[in-house]
Amino acid sequence: MNYVIVGNGVAGISAAEAIRQLDPGGRLTMIAAETFPPYCRPMISLLLEGAVTPEKLPIRPPSFYEQLQIQPILGDSVVSLDVPNRMMHTRQGRTVAFDRLLIATGADPNPIPAMKPGMKNVFFMRTEVQVRQMLDVLPQVRQALVLGGGLVGFKAAYALLHRGLQATMLIRSDYPLAMQVDDQAGKMILKELVGHGLEVKVGVDVTGFDGVEKVTRAHLSDGTDLPCDLVIVSKGVSPALSFVSGDQIKVNQGIVVDEYLATTAAGIFAAGDVAEARDITRGTCRINAIWPEAVDQGRLAGMNMAGRRVAYRGSLGRNVIRIFDLDVMTGGLVHPPAEPAYEVHSALDLRRRTYRKLVFHQDRLVGIIMVNAIDQGGILLSLIRSRMPLAIPREQMLSPAFNYRTLLR
Amino acid sequence: MKKVMVHPERCVGCMQCMAACATAHSQTKCLLTAIAETPLPKPRVHVGAGLYGEGFPNRCRHCDPAPCLLACLPGAISRHRDTDTVIINPDICINCASCAMACPFGVIRYHQDMTAAPGKTVAVKCDNCMARQRAGLNPACVEICKSGALTFEEPAAGLKRKTDEVARSVSVCAEGLPSAPGFALLNAVKKAQAGLSKM
Repeated sequence: MNYVIVGNGVAGISAAEAIRQLDPGGRLTMIAAETFPPYCRPMISLLLEGAVTPEKLPIRPPSFYEQLQIQPILGDSVVSLDVPNRMMHTRQGRTVAFDRLLIATGADPNPIPAMKPGMKNVFFMRTEVQVRQMLDVLPQVRQALVLGGGLVGFKAAYALLHRGLQATMLIRSDYPLAMQVDDQAGKMILKELVGHGLEVKVGVDVTGFDGVEKVTRAHLSDGTDLPCDLVIVSKGVSPALSFVSGDQIKVNQGIVVDEYLATTAAGIFAAGDVAEARDITRGTCRINAIWPEAVDQGRLAGMNMAGRRVAYRGSLGRNVIRIFDLDVMTGGLVHPPAEPAYEVHSALDLRRRTYRKLVFHQDRLVGIIMVNAIDQGGILLSLIRSRMPLAIPREQMLSPAFNYRTLLR
Repeated sequence: MKKVMVHPERCVGCMQCMAACATAHSQTKCLLTAIAETPLPKPRVHVGAGLYGEGFPNRCRHCDPAPCLLACLPGAISRHRDTDTVIINPDICINCASCAMACPFGVIRYHQDMTAAPGKTVAVKCDNCMARQRAGLNPACVEICKSGALTFEEPAAGLKRKTDEVARSVSVCAEGLPSAPGFALLNAVKKAQAGLSKM
């Protein structure tokens, strides 16, 4: 069997390991643009923060490819996929044939119109290379600008604050992480960040940048200007699937996969940020571009590619973040549709600075937000994933004393 | 291989396992002096209360495959094959709480610990008392448990005993007696008290 994996992110490497476990003799090739040893992408913000050194990023040894007898093609990327003839063409002119293919190319940051090629000190934060470039210019930086209040923008701003830099964050919603949290939690997060010196501008965008060689000033949509010498653009990501033709493989936002992580083309699988699998709480296809789902999807895609049929339960959007003295965990449907079948229970304790919100759909838990006291959150998330009907009183689940025993008869 | 087994119906909620666990994971290994240590030793087993105040010693199940191990960002969690124990390396841990999201039992806590660098907050959970086991001792929570809610035995033997208990309790002569009648009575009382206090 000739396996090819495109992408050496965590979905790709988890798939490679699963394939090797089941098929030690098969041919296995990995094609990836990044040449650094397989590393932990979510940790690059810690590199920017200065909390870890680059040596801490790899999650597999440099000998990973050798140990698993993988033929690596690094620093190259796929430009076209020929489904009927089962082969791919790369930027550097290689032709790679496959029997089983995994597309695990992840996602690329969305550019904004104001970005001009050649304008230095305007960065995305997606790869370790980008963060190392930021670190190179950081000593000269006085005033940083972060565009977007999603997870990446938030982590970038947090890292810069930790460095003691002046940072301004431009966000469209009233508070950061609007996709992950509700009004109450969002305001707690905003207060914490502002309290530590972050400047936040709500409802404004950048229309252009000034600067001869590197950026010196940003023009904002409200007509004002903002001096800045470092810009981090974090306006979401889009699946990296430019080489996939929609009439050969079904593509929505991402590549649509079934419960075996298989695409609509035989023998071709997809996993990670590029794949659109069934979302557990919504029942429809959706990209939940998070690390643990990439691990799961990669592992299961690898097993299915190697011939062991293992079904994937579906994905669940979830996140946990620590913001100075605030811990926030969220998961599932936190903004439920206004239908009577959905019931929301919440508890706010300003003295202890805790907040907990549970969203139920009939007798099942479908969404949570927790601010502080998060260590039992995994139980709640596992109740969402297992779709367990719940008979216990809901105020007991909101209580800080909630624990595993509460669920037992 | 012997493993710690939990028998929730026998737990009276005395929390002695917590104190013993914290002591076993202290520098001085003695309760009297352990409480004066910095950082303060903390338990890896957590007695939580049920709906009616019944106890339950909640500890790491050392799952295989372990969700925390798969979710760990920096790769700090691994499995020690000889003792079938899932362990966290405090030097690699970055306190990101990804494992808190992954653990379906809520057994991981985040605090300073004598096994970590001073001042560093890390994820901490049960290590099956590997150090004690190497010295020929039973895990501390089992050693201290007086009610038989925690036992250290071959899983096959434990399962057999449990099967026998269930078989006895459903036989004609047993008249529906619970397998642990004293504990069942205690929990019935707790349930009644909780019901009364609500009225």
